[in-house]
Parts: sequence; C-alpha cells; structure tokens
Amino acid sequence: MKSRLLEYLITFIVIITINFALPRIMPGDPFLQLYSAGGETTVSYTEEQKEYFISYYGLDRPAGIQYFSYLGGLLKGDLGFSYYFKDSVASMIFRRLPWTLLLITAATGLSLVTGVLLGSFAAWRRGQRSEQALYLFMVTISEIPAFLVGLVLLVLLAAGAGLFPLAGAITHFSRFNTTWAQILDILHHAALPVLTLAVARAGGFFLLVRNSLGTVLTRDYMRTARAKGLPEKRIRYRHALRNALLPLVTRTAMQMGAIVGGAVLVENVFAYPGLGRLMYEAVFVRDYPLLQGIFLVLAVAVLAANLLADILYRKLDPRIVSAFKAADSPAVKNRSGN
Amino acid sequence: MLKRKNRSPEDNCEILLTVKNLTVEYRNREGTIRALHDISFTLSGRQNLGIIGESGSGKTTLALSLLGLIGKPHSVTGSVHLGGKNILVLPEEEKKKLRWSRIALVFQNALEILNPVLTIGEQIGETLHCHRGLTGKALEQELLMLFNLVGLEYFWHRAYPHQLSGGMRQRVLLAMAISCRPEVLVIDEPTSSLDALARKEILAMLKDLQQKMGFAMVIISHDLAVMEELAEDLLVLYSGEVMETGTTTPLIERPLHPYTRGLLNSSIEIHPYKDLWGIPGEAAGEWKADCCVFAGRCTQSLHRCLNEKPSLVDTGAGRLVRCHRGGIVCLLQAEGINKSFSLNGCRIEALKDVNLNLYHGETAALVGATGSGKSTLAHILAGLDSPDSGKVIFDGQPVRGGEAHRRERGIQLVMQDPFSSVSHRLTVFEAIAEPLVINKICPPAIQMKRVREALKAVQMPNEENFLKRYCHALSGGQRQRLAIARALVMKPVLLLADEITSMLDVSTQANLMRLLKGLQYSFGFTMLYITHDLDLARKVSERAIVLHEGEIAEEGSIHQISRHTCCQPSGNLFEAGLHIHQ
Repeated sequence: MKSRLLEYLITFIVIITINFALPRIMPGDPFLQLYSAGGETTVSYTEEQKEYFISYYGLDRPAGIQYFSYLGGLLKGDLGFSYYFKDSVASMIFRRLPWTLLLITAATGLSLVTGVLLGSFAAWRRGQRSEQALYLFMVTISEIPAFLVGLVLLVLLAAGAGLFPLAGAITHFSRFNTTWAQILDILHHAALPVLTLAVARAGGFFLLVRNSLGTVLTRDYMRTARAKGLPEKRIRYRHALRNALLPLVTRTAMQMGAIVGGAVLVENVFAYPGLGRLMYEAVFVRDYPLLQGIFLVLAVAVLAANLLADILYRKLDPRIVSAFKAADSPAVKNRSGN
Repeated sequence: MLKRKNRSPEDNCEILLTVKNLTVEYRNREGTIRALHDISFTLSGRQNLGIIGESGSGKTTLALSLLGLIGKPHSVTGSVHLGGKNILVLPEEEKKKLRWSRIALVFQNALEILNPVLTIGEQIGETLHCHRGLTGKALEQELLMLFNLVGLEYFWHRAYPHQLSGGMRQRVLLAMAISCRPEVLVIDEPTSSLDALARKEILAMLKDLQQKMGFAMVIISHDLAVMEELAEDLLVLYSGEVMETGTTTPLIERPLHPYTRGLLNSSIEIHPYKDLWGIPGEAAGEWKADCCVFAGRCTQSLHRCLNEKPSLVDTGAGRLVRCHRGGIVCLLQAEGINKSFSLNGCRIEALKDVNLNLYHGETAALVGATGSGKSTLAHILAGLDSPDSGKVIFDGQPVRGGEAHRRERGIQLVMQDPFSSVSHRLTVFEAIAEPLVINKICPPAIQMKRVREALKAVQMPNEENFLKRYCHALSGGQRQRLAIARALVMKPVLLLADEITSMLDVSTQANLMRLLKGLQYSFGFTMLYITHDLDLARKVSERAIVLHEGEIAEEGSIHQISRHTCCQPSGNLFEAGLHIHQ
C-alpha cells in the first residue's frame, strides 16, 4: 500500500506541474486580446498595460520561482484569481463542485445498479431470447454519444412532455418549506442529466458484469456451492456476484475520467451549474487561472476516485491484500524465496 | 450387487445408496458425449466403495451425478436412490435438501474449489446454517468442533482459501463435507495433491472420522494404494463403463479384466520394482455403442469385441467382468505334470505334480535354483518333451508333440545359448525364415517381408547384405536377438524365454530385456520368463512361479513374494538371490 500511495503522490505532482506548465508553453498570450462577453468588440491592451499585467501576475519572474509560488499558493488553497469573473478561483470552484459531484456520483451509482442488475439477469439467462434482446439493446444505447441522449431526453421529456425542468439545478427565487421539498426539487432538476450520463455508462457495466459473472459461473467454487445444497439466493449473490463485482470496481475507477468528461458535456446541454458549465464559460473568455483551477480539481477528483477504488478492491479481494503484504514484508519474502 | 464379507454385526447394514443403470450424456453444440453408461451399484452403511480408472473414464461425472448435480441440457437417466428417493428426478429444491445433509462431496483439492473471497469459516459455516439452522454461538461451537475433528487450529476460520496449504485445504474440504453429518461421503481424489506425510494423515483421518460418524464412502481415485487402504470393494471404470467390480484384495491380486491389469501394471504402488508399462493406445476415449470400449487397446480382442458390446458377467464371489472372453484368457494350463529321468537305473524326479496357469498378456517369471526343473518344465510346456503324466492345454487344445510351435499364433521357445540354438551355417535370412519354410506357412515373397519386419522389431538391420550374412559372423547379443526374431516371425501368443540373457553382458542384457518387454507391450504375447536372476525377474514380471526340487513351492505377485513370504524354499531363494533389498 505504501508504494501505491507514493505512486499517487508522484502522479499528483506531475499533474500539478503539467497544469502549471501548460498555459505557459501554449502559443498566444492571455493579454494579447480580451473578448467582451458577446465576442463582438475586441479590446486590445497597450504595451504599458501588458507590462503592468505581466508584472502584476508575476509572469516576468523566473519559471522556477513562479512554480514554487504556485505550489505555495496551492498549499494555502489559493488557486489564483479569475480575471474575467473577478473572483477567487477556489471559491468559484467550491460553489460549483457540489453540483458536478452530485451528477457524477448519482450517475455512477445509477449506471452501476442498472449494469449489475441487468448484467446478472443476462448472465443467468445466457443464450435465451430475453438475454439476447437485452444484450442488443444495451450495446446499442451505450454506443450513442451522451450529449445526443441528453438532447433527445431534453426535447422529449423536458421541452415536449414538460415533465422535467429545462435548465438549472434548483428552482431559483423559491423558498422551500422543508428540507425534503428542497431535496425533491434538486432531484427533479438533476434527473435528466443523471439519466443521460447513466445511460451512456450502463452499457459498459452491463457487458462487464455479464461477462465476468459468466466466467465466475464456470468456476469450480460455483459447483462446490451448488453441491452444498445452498439456497439459490446465496449461491447467486454471496458466491457468484461477490466474485464477479471485483473487476467492476476497477472499471468504475478507470471510467472516472470519461464520466467527468461526460459531465462537462451534459452540464452544458442541460445548462447545469456545475464545473463543466463553468469550464465552458472559462474557455469562452480564455480565463486561464480559472481553467487551470478547474483542470486541477477535476484531475484530483479522478485521482481520488482511483485511490478509493484501490482501497475498496483491497477490502473486497482478500488475495490482493496478502499479495501486497508479502511484497511489503521482508520476512515473508524470504520465506517464499526459499 | 457388491457384497462385503466379514462385516461385523453391529455395523449398519441398511442400504444407503442404490445406483441403477445410471447413464449420463453431455450435450452441447458439438454433439452428445456419453460419459457414463449403465452404472449400477449399491452402498450400505460404513461400506467403502472405490471407483478407479484413468482420467476421462467418468469418475468425476459419477460423483457429480450421485448428488444430482448434472442438469440440463445434459441427460441423466437411470436412478440414484438415496434414502428412498431418486435424487435424479426430484425438483431442485428437494435435491438441495438431500445434498450435504445425506450425501456430501469432498471435492478434488484445487485452489479454485473454495470461493476465493469468502473466509474458510463462512464457507464451512454456511452449510451449518442452511441445512441445520445453526446461528451465532451454536454455529461457532459446531465450527470449532469440526475444526478439531479435522485437525485444524480454530483461528484459521478467518483465513481465506489462498492462505492455506494444500493439506490444510484438504482438511477444510473434509470439514465442509462432514459438517451436516451425511450418510454417504463421496471423495474425489483425496490425496492426489498431497505429499506423502499429509496423505498418510488424511487417510488415517478418513478412517477415524468414519469410525466416529459412521458414514459410507465412495472413493474416487486413480491411486491404487489409497484404494487398498480404504476401499473394501472396487469398481473399475473405463470410458464410462464398469469393466470389473469386486472385493479389493482379490481384484488387485488377480485382476480379471485386461484393463484392470493394465492399470495395475502402471502403478508403482503395486509394482515397486518392475518397470512401469502404461496401457498401450490412447487413454480412455469416447464411449461407443456396439463394441467393447476397451477393444482398441486390448491385446486379446476378437472380431466379436469390435461388433458387440459385452455385458457385465458374474464370475463368482461377487466379481463381475465385462469381457467377451470372460476376462483375461488363460492361455496355457498345465495339470499334474510329472516327469522323471533315469540315470544309471536311478530314478530322478525332475517334476512332481506341477500345476501351472499362464494368462494372456502377462509376464510370469519361473524362478528356482539350478536343477529345480525349470528347463524341463519349459520343454514340456512347449511340447518339445512329453510328460510322464499330466497334460498341457494351450488355447483350449492339448499340447501334443510340436504342433503348438509349428503353427502361427502358437508357442515359441527362445533358449539360453544362441550359439547352439541358431546354426552358424545359415545366413540371417535362412535362420529366421526357417520356421516359415519348414512349416510351409507363406510364399517366399511374404517370407522376406516377415523376416524384415521381425528384424526391424528386434532392432537389427534388415538390408539385403545383412540378410545374406552368415550367423557365425554375429555377436552373442545379435544372435540372441536373431533367435527372438525367429520366434517372432511365427507371431507367437506365448513366448517361453529360457534364461535368454544369462550368456550376455549386462548392457546387452538390459537392451534385450527392454526390447522384449517393448515387443510384448505392442504385440501382447504372454511371456514365461525362466531365470535364476531374481533381480531381473522382479524387474520384468508381475507374477512369480517358484520351482523347488521339481515342485511348485509358491506362486503369486512377485513383489509380495520377494517382500515377505512364509514359504521356506522361496524365502531362501529370494533371500539369497536378491541383491537389491528394500
């Protein structure tokens, strides 16, 4: 585990460094031009103004010193200052982050549950008609891009049927009598974005569970469980599914990056006030400090999800723990070497 | 149908398991494979039945079908009656109730046989919970007791399967199987993955547990030593069919079916000194209708064996054999052979009332001190000499004169001294073709072909110029091989080898013996190996006939006789003659 943590630390430092270096080696200059909100009027800086801003933001100092002051700022939670929104990047991100987290966790949860349920259904009924139909359906919908699914849902369910709100995360300017009512409102707004994201992910989980469970069912220990005359439920869930879910944990973590990317698109389709929406806005106005901050936070989030999956896997698969114990402890190493 | 003798009265003799006409077919896209064909047996209280056979013979399929574990799309017909119910036709829920509580299975030890993500304690405990309804403290108590029974420390209940050694895993599997106190325990290869020490412990534990819990066992193994130790009765399985069943000890001492003998000949436990020879041909293949499944590998098969399935026939004493020829054929019977010579008016009794049987495909060693009458007996058996009284019956016909060695598929004798037995004035071809020519067996063109084949079989050159060479130009080893070739050209079914290696150096002797065994292995002839070299006899033969002063002193497994015999003359002989002792 120690070596694993070290790996994460190194990855983290690399991400920070890239995040620091990327805008600085990119062609163009943030002060070359500033667009107004509509992008119609071009505002240009004079040489003096440019120099002023360059020294104001410390861009004239040597790269090494910039790097360390950037690190120092990060340690204090300072992600810089958005020069378009005129606000601290950290606080802007902090305001938007919960919405994105809500989308991602809810969508991951929903797609996992759907994937596992349908995947196990398919594995038990391998080769039957119902399974083949389900397989075809899941493969098809998982191939449709998330934003397209989102648009269709938006047009049909929100604009057409009017069942869901068209945009936003919460009804503005309204007061909720109970927390419960507030929660319901949030869920109502989140429903379509979450559904869109979940539909895109569920197919992958479905296929994984179907295949992994299919493999588990042929294992010797499944025959043992059946021979023992255990109830069907116990055989299916305690013996089979428990084993089949192991690769799912890894898959979920590995898909974190993709689901974050999906969230960016979906938030824009549904005008959902999350980090993705903020990122879009920041790109539009070339707000580098803000973009940098968002990138960093998203990267860290994906990294954290991976770490979490690692820990979870360790809890779920006893074989991994002992393999790592063996690698960490020299005593065991010696014994196995003999 | 299997009866066990000497069962003490307090034993529970009620029949626990009845298997009748059990036939299993695996069905998949490629087609149907019959894995078991018409298996029947019964098992009563505390009885141990061993099921033995090569891999692919259907042993594990049998184990699984006893628990009703083979389901759709495969087909299982016949019946498996367990406690009055046929488990094969019960609904799944009813089957589940019978499994583990009445019949449990100790699976063959493998890493994946236990669920890798559940603790040992949970995997044993869940059967206690599901079948016996135990929970909490009571479950823990029972678990503790089970761990004690199989000799595992209790703290291992928190361990995962991959943390256990093979021996411990076997104990866990055992604890799991006995957890619900089944009446019948099916054990699949209990010791195959264990070292000698662990194996001994497990076998002792099985016996001990049986004493305490009184279950009956069906032991599935290819390990004959395990069978000797545990099983009272044996069932020999080949390609899904029962080839032979019977009580273990006589079955191992004198197998009736050629397949059983082949298995025994391949077992180091039964023949610790003899060279091992597997059964020729492909291992247990697919089941076939309308023929004997073993016919392709059998050396005594007839035309009938390829066209008609033999049935399982009772040969007495509860021994059943599936063979058209009634089991291994007795090729030669000698009854009451007496022979005396007179020397200056003095009568010397060379053979006194000798009775002897030689079976198809076996290698028997006729051993004895010089002057005990070995060569005289060999000559009488070959029909070269006639006995004063008694008769020799070969292949159902009495041996009279040289008839038996003048024909093909008869008796051939290879003698001790190749220099006098093969004329040095003949060419190689003439010497080998001689019996064919004299007996007018085949036209010259075919004679040449057969001579060449025989020479090839004994690993000698068969080119034109070698065939023209005179025998006096050959070495001792070459001449002895030539003598064997001369015997082989007649395609004998019985080869009498009289001290054939005593005049050869060790290396030539070793080569010749391996050659001869190899030939026997592929042609399937019976060999009576006459020698006073006991080490060699023990190396090549499975049965010994000890001749002492013209009488048969003892007859039986050469391994048993050489290890401990109560017969004084053979004891002395082996004591003096064996250079390699255990």
